[in-house]
Amino acid sequence: MSRSPNQVTSVLAGVCMLAAVGSVHADETTGLTDTSIKVGVMGPFTGNASSYSKAEIGLIAYFKHINDQGGIHGRKFEIIQEDTTCEPAKGIAGAKKLIHQDQVFYLHGNSCSGVAMAVKPTIEPTGIPWIVAHAVNQDISKPPTKGIFHGVPAGPAYGTAMGKFVMSRPGTQRVGIITHTNDWAKNYCEPASEFMATKGVKPIVEVALERGQTDATAQVLKLREAKLDFILGCLYEAETVVFLRDAKRYGLRVPVMGTAGTDLENTLARLGDKDAVKDYYVLHAYIDNVDGPKMKAWNDIVLKYYPDETITGFSTISMASGVAAVKALEAAGRDLTRSKFIAELDKIKDLDTGILACRITWSADDRHGCKESAVAGFVNGKPTVLSGWNKPL
Amino acid sequence: MTESTANPRPGVARFRCVYYLAPVLALAIPFIVNEYLQFMANAVLVYILVTLGFNIVIGNLGQLAFANTAFFGIGAYTSAILMTYLGFPYVLAVVAAAVTGGIAGFLASVTALRGIRLYYLAIITLAFGELLRWVYLHGDKITRGSDGLLVPQPYFFGIAMDSETPKFYVFLLITVLVVKATSNLMRSRVGRAIVAIRENEAATASLGIHTARYIVLAFVWSGAVVGIAGAMFAALTGRVFPESFGLTEVIVHFGMVLVGGTSSIVGSVIGAVTLTALPEYFRQFPGMSELFFGIVIILVLLFLPKGLASLLARISPRFNERYYLD
Amino acid sequence: MLLQLTVSGIAQGALYALIALSMTVLYRATTIVNFGHGDFVMGGAFIVYVAVIFFGLPFALAAIASIGLMFVLGLAVSRGFIDPIKTGPHIGFAMMSISIGYVLRGGARTLWGREVLPMPRVFDIEPIFVGGVVITGDAMIICSTVALLLVVFFLIFYKSQLGVIVQAVFQSERGATLVGIDVRGFHETMWGVGLAMGAIGGILIAPISLLHPDLGASFLIRGFAAMTLGGFGSLWGAVVGGLVLGLSEQYLGAYVSTALIDITAYLVIIIVLVIRPAGLFGRQVAVRV
Repeated sequence: MSRSPNQVTSVLAGVCMLAAVGSVHADETTGLTDTSIKVGVMGPFTGNASSYSKAEIGLIAYFKHINDQGGIHGRKFEIIQEDTTCEPAKGIAGAKKLIHQDQVFYLHGNSCSGVAMAVKPTIEPTGIPWIVAHAVNQDISKPPTKGIFHGVPAGPAYGTAMGKFVMSRPGTQRVGIITHTNDWAKNYCEPASEFMATKGVKPIVEVALERGQTDATAQVLKLREAKLDFILGCLYEAETVVFLRDAKRYGLRVPVMGTAGTDLENTLARLGDKDAVKDYYVLHAYIDNVDGPKMKAWNDIVLKYYPDETITGFSTISMASGVAAVKALEAAGRDLTRSKFIAELDKIKDLDTGILACRITWSADDRHGCKESAVAGFVNGKPTVLSGWNKPL
Repeated sequence: MTESTANPRPGVARFRCVYYLAPVLALAIPFIVNEYLQFMANAVLVYILVTLGFNIVIGNLGQLAFANTAFFGIGAYTSAILMTYLGFPYVLAVVAAAVTGGIAGFLASVTALRGIRLYYLAIITLAFGELLRWVYLHGDKITRGSDGLLVPQPYFFGIAMDSETPKFYVFLLITVLVVKATSNLMRSRVGRAIVAIRENEAATASLGIHTARYIVLAFVWSGAVVGIAGAMFAALTGRVFPESFGLTEVIVHFGMVLVGGTSSIVGSVIGAVTLTALPEYFRQFPGMSELFFGIVIILVLLFLPKGLASLLARISPRFNERYYLD
Repeated sequence: MLLQLTVSGIAQGALYALIALSMTVLYRATTIVNFGHGDFVMGGAFIVYVAVIFFGLPFALAAIASIGLMFVLGLAVSRGFIDPIKTGPHIGFAMMSISIGYVLRGGARTLWGREVLPMPRVFDIEPIFVGGVVITGDAMIICSTVALLLVVFFLIFYKSQLGVIVQAVFQSERGATLVGIDVRGFHETMWGVGLAMGAIGGILIAPISLLHPDLGASFLIRGFAAMTLGGFGSLWGAVVGGLVLGLSEQYLGAYVSTALIDITAYLVIIIVLVIRPAGLFGRQVAVRV
């Protein structure tokens, strides 16, 4: 077995846990010292979903920034990163390590919904606070449990925003869907379809494009035949590029509604062709473009601690929940405990994080903090935040 | 030829008592480790069975059949589905997983019987595994596809397996039983026939041994063992996803067999422990896991081709198992 | 629609044929199937990217550098990793090739981790329009490259002295050594050639698929399927197999279900090995006892 350097700590921890007579309740001040708050950040830092860990990188940069400003009531964040590689088994091991071996005060992070759902049974019984900062599956935080908070728009919020935008285009009747067959994509396309159904519009055709496929000819041709008004595109970054490229190639000139998994600037950079993206729209959770003036301060924080990082649409999304967390930690005062932290988080209402378009509101009955998202598209060749079809914000 | 488990080398029989000591010592583990390390110990037990089963086909039978993840996945999904939809108690779920694993093993053996060998067998068994993964993904009415199938809390004869410690004892029991059964099988006439087929199929057949029977048996046993491991995996992770049973997983299994050594059960145990525990240690160096994996395998192949178990054999010749034939 | 699907099918199929062809050349020469080939393809593409972006080399030069470097890597792999384990079981080769691929992939991931990189293009040729059908520049380049390589290797294997050596070594290494053929050197050279072809594949594929460390994985399986369909060891078979696979994916995807595109390769493998293991052009494969 592994010769862990923390063998002594784990023995002591084991003894202490036995002393707690088999119960798994979290200790109120575990992970706190006079000068530090231990936070466990889980994310897919390696593996084929590693581009999504940019969100956790941004969050960690924010924590470091807070540390440099003096910390919170004299305590600085001690950040422990755990790589989930977007695989459930690794994620569970990482969560257990953070909770039972590293004994962190609270958990903040997670980009992969599958992993988040897999680790939820490990985290929930302990009552340890957990802020989900990127993953979108709404079931992670619904029904509400003692310590789980959702700090980004969850599936229905995003999907509804997609559906709303599609329906805001006058005369939309014929809609098609191109999607991956995994839970990430379903978290977007299903709520979107449900919203459209309430307006009496049902998708006419649905095609699948799997990860790693480099050709979308069959899919594009099928969609082209259906003579659609709008297409929902629930695809990751690389496959979005493949699809848009093939769509232009075969003359499929229909507006496409993407997810929060891509951003306009990078899609354009990869396609290298303005014409191919001019009808592409994405969910945009922010108050400004990725390189807009309101985001500059945040981007600078990321670049200060990670100078080689390329800023994309993922970089700052988790910082918003970081802002909320810091606010709650400060409100809880020097006499910090997990219960106080959770109580302060539940008191957050209409918090303008300066990053997200929505305002975070949490309560013990509803842990979906963020219920809206804007949409962005190219207007005159420039990425622009939109509130509806042809309506710049 | 008489069926005898008596060993011509004196002292080895007594030495074998050491193998019984290990599980007894292991009983103490939950008292000295935290929940995280306990989880890793449970994972090690699962992978011991995975490696053991895989070795039967790759090591003992010597066939390049990569159907291991197929068996693993079928065992996991079978037990999860039966527990979720029919409320099976854990013991029955494990048995059912062994049965479906064995059936899958039988299917995999069919191509080997028809004379497919080497790379062809490797590729078709890989394809078989991937096909099953597609089925898990698209059969989402039952398997819940990519959302993952939530495994309800398993009950082992009335005891709830609700934390890592009860799981450990159940897993330990299952592992010991399966390892012992496999060891008995491999040290019996059946095991010898299987190894003989590996060494020279034509000669073995010429001795009047029905090679087909033993090939099928090897595959079925392998499928059953790995199916049981799959059922343990389902209980371990609590949620069964299709992606856990893909190509990357089978390569990890293959690595465990090779690192440990194909010639003995001790090797399988060593390989499983090494490649489950060490990567966890390397968590502190993110990004290194693939590099680490590749480098370890390369080093083992170059310098220790018989696997880590051969190191043990150099230390003490008594580690030579009966079917350690080279 | 059928015509467009056919054109796309041939374009995709040519990619698979390229991968299958490079694996077949290596297999013919060394009896080893390189399970890590997908990662070598990715490696070739990454070298070009580094050369163009970081060293500012013009594309053509970078491509040549990549092919050259991969050739040298092939020599090193053969001498340092394959040769020493020659006396071991055959499965050792499979694992070694996978592991080397893993090291390459892990290295690429450590260096480029989180980014998905756009790949500079070889040549920028405008697509041709024939009736309602689009034929892309990429497709034309890939098809011509595959055709060219096929001709080159056909000539080498069947019409030249080198081809005789290939046959000799394939049939009996010991015999070949006895008549004075430098088998070891030959193996090294062919590994170099195989990897160099992989690099060519990477250079052509990467602009289409974008550059990321897992590039190789899906192409590897398609390559296997193509080789299986065409018959292991047959050059023609690799190409025909690749084309048929590409076409099947398109037709099944459009006319039956797009969900099938992912597993067409596996279905092909299973069906072929169950019905006719030798594939279309291969030799007798089954071992009968």
